[in-house]
Amino acid sequence: MNVMGIIFANDGSLGSLTAQRTMASLPFGGRYRQVDFALSNLAAIGVRHVGIVTRHHYQSLVNHIGSGEEWGMELEEGGLEFLTPYAMSKTDTYRGKLESLHAAMGFLEYGAEDEHLVMIDSSVLSNIDLSDVIAKHIASGKDVTVVTKAGVCNGKQQFDLAMKLDKNGNISDMAVDYAAPADYVASMDIYVVSKKWLAQQVKEHIAHNLYHMDRDLVLGQWQKGAITVNPYVFPGEVLFTESVDDYFANNLSLLDKKMRHDLFGYNHPVYTKVRDRVPTYYGESCVVENCLVADGCMLDGNVKNSILFRQVSICAGAEVENCVIMNDTVVGENSELKYVILDKDVTVRPGARLIGTPHNPIVVKRGDTV
Amino acid sequence: MYFQKKRCIAMLLAGGQGSRLKVLTEKTAKPAVPFGGKYRIIDFPLSNCVNSGIDTVGILTQYQPLELNEYIGNGQPWGLNKTHSCAQVLPPYERHDKKSGWYKGTANAIYQNIDFIERFDPDYVVILSGDHIYKMDYAAMVAYHEENNASCTIAVRDVPLKEASRFGILNTNPDGTIYEFEEKPKKPKSTNASMGIYVFNWDVLRQALIADEDDDTSSNDFGKNIIPNLLNAGHKMMAYTFDGYWKDVGTIDSLWEANMELLGKDPEFNIRGDERSKICARNNALPSSYIDAQASISGSFIAEGSEIYGTVRHSVISIGCSVGEGALVEDSVVMPGVVIESGAIVRHAILGENSKVCRNAVVGGAFAPNEKKQISVTSKGAVVEAGTALLPGEML
Repeated sequence: MNVMGIIFANDGSLGSLTAQRTMASLPFGGRYRQVDFALSNLAAIGVRHVGIVTRHHYQSLVNHIGSGEEWGMELEEGGLEFLTPYAMSKTDTYRGKLESLHAAMGFLEYGAEDEHLVMIDSSVLSNIDLSDVIAKHIASGKDVTVVTKAGVCNGKQQFDLAMKLDKNGNISDMAVDYAAPADYVASMDIYVVSKKWLAQQVKEHIAHNLYHMDRDLVLGQWQKGAITVNPYVFPGEVLFTESVDDYFANNLSLLDKKMRHDLFGYNHPVYTKVRDRVPTYYGESCVVENCLVADGCMLDGNVKNSILFRQVSICAGAEVENCVIMNDTVVGENSELKYVILDKDVTVRPGARLIGTPHNPIVVKRGDTV
Repeated sequence: MYFQKKRCIAMLLAGGQGSRLKVLTEKTAKPAVPFGGKYRIIDFPLSNCVNSGIDTVGILTQYQPLELNEYIGNGQPWGLNKTHSCAQVLPPYERHDKKSGWYKGTANAIYQNIDFIERFDPDYVVILSGDHIYKMDYAAMVAYHEENNASCTIAVRDVPLKEASRFGILNTNPDGTIYEFEEKPKKPKSTNASMGIYVFNWDVLRQALIADEDDDTSSNDFGKNIIPNLLNAGHKMMAYTFDGYWKDVGTIDSLWEANMELLGKDPEFNIRGDERSKICARNNALPSSYIDAQASISGSFIAEGSEIYGTVRHSVISIGCSVGEGALVEDSVVMPGVVIESGAIVRHAILGENSKVCRNAVVGGAFAPNEKKQISVTSKGAVVEAGTALLPGEML
């Protein structure tokens, strides 16, 4: 298939969790980074030329992805490219996706054989068969296909782009940054377009000082009747990450069998960087209930309803409940943690007590001792 | 093609059948037998090579090579797929002269691949075998070999006197030079057992291999022929003592024991380690393991991608397994992809890859601490039907 991919690494808005990393490199689900889902979705349909648009703090992302060999993208021709603001000439940083694409025009115009382009965000996680999306896009004959999810709009949560579909599946309304009512579908920030068409649109928009993909291109041009938009409604599970609260809930949602099986194996495996940790050791007196546990952990305490990343130690007497604990963190003896997100390399002192709430989890930043 | 000269390369003998592992090696070469939850036996010597700075490894395969070849691939999991590194699988092949066909013995296997070795113009060649579990720094052994100006250095370990007659025994002078080699002696004179790990000066080994090949009476074996011949010819041969954990996992009992020795707070063999001694394995892109609220796990290893709903005690559960509600797994080695259905009981067993223990079936039994454990074994893909039993020591 002649398809190219662009992944937006996205700056994060999750406080200390994304202070030093992009949304793309935010650890998720025990052994992944958010970007693994986008990369695996592309890898699964044989996309071998992917650009990753980054703006700030992309060191951890570069470190994670490396040459892209875990996703089969370490190629001499094509492969993976980081599209950093280094390539910018006009402004010091991107104001919107169209501007970032303009800076990466060389990438967009590279390889004439690639006809279609899939653009994916790092904030929305799914295990989606993109070949079906592309086939439906081609069959629709429309300019843009936007992948959407029904049943997530609730009048409270704001989505980047929401659409109302009539009974024939045609778009009757579209809105950006909008807390849409329940009869709207939310954009999963996955778009399929023709590469040539997009390159032309990017040039036109930048020339007219328009830089926002959803607002200026999709909504703006659709309202003017200048472009046609094909909504694709995805039936599988989707996780949106807009806040710390979302992030916490998304991680814990993996304790649900359907969510886990959908996200990790519905269409294809999810690849991530291999770390070669040993299997997790469950001590003689540990109690582990309803947990997702990565490799390399040493468990001697009690852990319930939690997500443990690689190489986490839970010492004897510790009580951990409803927590997300990132790699290489040590939870000391007789400590007590409830509703806590521990970033990487955190040390919880013996006897420490941290109690958050379901909608206001305590976040301990990377490398801290508490 | 340009080949970088290498100071030292390794040749890994991985062609053996491992017939004492019985059903476990019916369809798999011994080096490809799963170990420790996420590894295969060959991961240990391969990772040791990489951790010792040896980046060129020839792997001699013969018996049931499909799975082993797939597993090794281009050597990527061990970082052996770089510009001047390789993990080269070397199967037997047909030649223009009559000196071809199946590998007749360990020495013949190397002899048939002299061309491969010559490409790298090595000073030293390390000969390894693919059936031992251990972590060892081969670089230290090569340095010892070099310091002593030896032609050949053999790694040895001290074994109990009563077991010494099962091994090749090296009798040494106080300075570590070997004066005698006895293959499985009835009355051993020392307890220095050969570990089957050799460092040779390549020029010496090359000549020895050619001479051995011309000898029609030879069984073309390192232990039986090459080593005694070099000793008789007066070469300087050194014994290199290794006192770390080392286990020949050539039998069902020893394979089970070696897995059990990974368990515990302070295990006999700690495979946990720093970045420089870590064991790498081919990765399977599996998610984390899920441990249900009803599960109970103690003193066990659980690898990625498993789903545990039942009770697991003192066992190794490999990648992608499931243990159903109310099932009990105790003192067992559960290989990748095994399904243990609800209500099943598995004790003192090795369950082969992708085998299945159906609802309420019973595998193996309990033993008193001093009693000889009889290990029950299922072969790859075997199914223990619902409600049936596989008795202690039985194989399916």
